[in-house]
Amino acid sequence: MSDRFAAASGRKVVSRTSAEELGNLAHVVIDVKRRQVASLVVGKGRKALLIDWEQVSGFGPDAVMVADESAQYSPRDDRERAAADGKLELVGKRALSDMGNDLGTVTDVQFDPVTGGIESLVLGDREEPAASLLGAGSFAAIVRAPAE
Amino acid sequence: MRLLVTGSAIRGLPVVTISGGEDVAEVRDVIYSPEAGRVVGLTLNKRGFLAGRCREVLPAETIHAIGRDAVMVDDETSLILPEDAPADVGAPPSGRDVTGDEVLTEQGTSLGKVRDVVVLVGSNGEVVGYEIDTAAGGTGYIPLPAQLAVSGSALVVPEATKEFVEDDLVGLGAAVDEFRSRLGIR
Repeated sequence: MSDRFAAASGRKVVSRTSAEELGNLAHVVIDVKRRQVASLVVGKGRKALLIDWEQVSGFGPDAVMVADESAQYSPRDDRERAAADGKLELVGKRALSDMGNDLGTVTDVQFDPVTGGIESLVLGDREEPAASLLGAGSFAAIVRAPAE
Repeated sequence: MRLLVTGSAIRGLPVVTISGGEDVAEVRDVIYSPEAGRVVGLTLNKRGFLAGRCREVLPAETIHAIGRDAVMVDDETSLILPEDAPADVGAPPSGRDVTGDEVLTEQGTSLGKVRDVVVLVGSNGEVVGYEIDTAAGGTGYIPLPAQLAVSGSALVVPEATKEFVEDDLVGLGAAVDEFRSRLGIR
């Protein structure tokens, strides 16, 4: 089973130990090198907190279950701050090929909710395998140039 | 068929890191070497609110690709200080601007004056032709051989160039290979 970032956005995040709702999933942060979900951003603005993927016990269709409330932390550096602000959000990001040509916008990301592994990027009506993702930052997602 | 872009279209393009997905600078100008027949580097401006000249330069060897929408580099380390760059990039000799130079064929026909260089999209600065103001007052595009004589006020191109004056970049893109095979280049 696969899940998608756009569909998961806004999903409630719940502590498994207290059954307390911690907030809503705002952003998913990925580790490009490992092509893997690295952490989740819960809540927006100044109250945004991060949760590492390792603390997620179940990424379900109706809720994201995390070990407990203490798994949440405030951004500790610039990169985490940018992530919390949604600046690293892949969905909606400009897609550029490594040859410097526009490929449109990343409209969605498909991933495995069990492992957190990124499966593919959706660029409008096209899909690129996760292996094509070379880098991602606040300006653009860099995708290996598709064969002309 | 080759995809081409003029030097002026490269100006203002963001310089983007492949590994980081960040726009680390934007192109201020191209540093063109007529002797080498290629872009040897780019000068840069800062991005965003801090706009203004950026001291670092981008030598062609560290450019991954000049594209239609961005100039791609591996990472920030590609941007280097002029004193660390090759001399023709860090401190380009003056008087090598070909803009305004008259283009003469070997038999002495003037094709017009150089307005801009034409760069191969996807390369790291290969110049395949010139955009010219034609004698008739229009815009033309001519392919370049690998090497040619440049004096600082005029440049001499093979006679065959006359037959390859194109009206647009698409036409030049189609003509470059035929022109080069005619001259026996690659």
